[in-house]
Amino acid sequence: MASAGSGDEKAAAAAMITLISSDNEKFEVTEATATLSQTIRHMIEDGCTDGGVPLPNVTSKILARVIEYCKKHATAAAGEEGSSSSFSDAAFLEVDRAFLEELEEFDDAFLEVDRATLFDLILAANYLDIKGLLNLTCQKVADSVKGKTPEQIREMYNIVNDLTPEEEAEIRRETQWAFE
Amino acid sequence: MPPCGGDGSGVAPPAASADGFDALPDEVLHHILGFLEAYEAVRTCVLAKRWRHLWRHATGLRVAAADEDAFLESVEKTWEFLDHLLPLREGSPLQTCELRFGELGYNEPALLDDDGTRRVNTWFWHAIMHKVRDLSLYAYFDLHHGLELYDMPLNSQHLTRLEFTGVEVFSSTFLNFSNCPALEYLRFERCEFSYNISSKSLKRLIITSDCFGTPVLESMPSLVEAFIDLEAEHNSYVIVGNIGSNSGMLVIFRWCPIFSKLKTLLLDDNWCMPDDFRALVCFLEHSPVLEKLTLELSSKRRKSEIIIKGNVRPMEGSAAILEHLKLVEVKCMAVDERIFKLLMFLCAFKIRLTTFDTDSDSE
Repeated sequence: MASAGSGDEKAAAAAMITLISSDNEKFEVTEATATLSQTIRHMIEDGCTDGGVPLPNVTSKILARVIEYCKKHATAAAGEEGSSSSFSDAAFLEVDRAFLEELEEFDDAFLEVDRATLFDLILAANYLDIKGLLNLTCQKVADSVKGKTPEQIREMYNIVNDLTPEEEAEIRRETQWAFE
Repeated sequence: MPPCGGDGSGVAPPAASADGFDALPDEVLHHILGFLEAYEAVRTCVLAKRWRHLWRHATGLRVAAADEDAFLESVEKTWEFLDHLLPLREGSPLQTCELRFGELGYNEPALLDDDGTRRVNTWFWHAIMHKVRDLSLYAYFDLHHGLELYDMPLNSQHLTRLEFTGVEVFSSTFLNFSNCPALEYLRFERCEFSYNISSKSLKRLIITSDCFGTPVLESMPSLVEAFIDLEAEHNSYVIVGNIGSNSGMLVIFRWCPIFSKLKTLLLDDNWCMPDDFRALVCFLEHSPVLEKLTLELSSKRRKSEIIIKGNVRPMEGSAAILEHLKLVEVKCMAVDERIFKLLMFLCAFKIRLTTFDTDSDSE
């Protein structure tokens, strides 16, 4: 694959961005896809994308998933012709509804991942500053602890309770208003 | 110069590959906690030492005072809960705030007394002051009572979405959103208001049919879509000001309401773009009892010098929907090509202006 960068290729490469994962795999994506990430958008604005964008925190496995998400949502955003607003605020138009439904189905399927992958996706979304993906994945984690007691949450996510019984009792007293 | 290329410097790597919830950085946990009901977020304080204060910075505040099964089952409980919670959040910024007091109100009129109103207003303004972007306030009780919001000017660089249910707005100060430059989405349901709504940035406006009062919609140059459904019997008239778009984009009433009681309608330039009268047609088609139509095409802040008045005489094939239309006025600076096109258009629409009075002196 062409590694974007040499000056005379600039015009042709303008619409394509090369992302490089931590394990040095290269992914070519359109600028529209890449700029769902605010982090990459700022790099593009600063002219820092020649030679590719290294993403030392994101493995190729996770980056491939992130790109899959961005491609889908960039298409959706482009579908909202005539408005420069992000797709997320598409409110109630019938044409948007079909789009939204399809997007929701995509998102649901996208979230069918194991827990480790979900947390890796959250870290990547946070690092790349992809608001929609961060909200989607964080919501999924929040949903998983809804209605659970602290004990159940600890067990579910292997959170080690390093509070002494006295400390825990004290915190519970302080926040009694939220417990009973 | 920002660092370029190769090494990705400038952005600190996050913790190595996450092996769990607990390995996520604090900022992410704040965000996750923001998706929980507030009391559930607070309860994570006993998970472990690290979690003790994380909830205080949750990026969302979701409070639902609901039915008997819910944690906040009574007014007193809700008051106590929020009185504890908000001071402990200190200055933490909010992205999302959902305050739902609806179900409570049915059984607990205490929510509507002065104390209740004062509290809910305090929390509403707390959210605004803490940079909330997405704010919804649900305070529906019954048809005769809504929550009264105080008359204070909204001033926020951050607010992008605002949704009200069951709120009474007795103030035009409040509905002037000129100091909310990021506001894009506004929704009113079961609300009562009688004042001018204006916003430079608003893209989407929804007013559902169970609202009452007479909102005057004006100056919304960025509006892309509006769903305004004012069929309630309480609406004796609706005044539509200069909603519209500088870009010339048509405001499309996809679900255009029938303005079943609309007798007098004034439309300005924004509705009569040269060669594009679709908005005007839309209004005429949805105003079955319209009696007087005024089209004001003068430039901003200048008085019209010419007023063309016309009595409407039904023609053969005239649209039945306009059978009540008696008087059409076109106010303009000069009879130019644009005005000519408009007059031709009105003729084509089976409206014949039978008399033309040209006043050199404006009213």
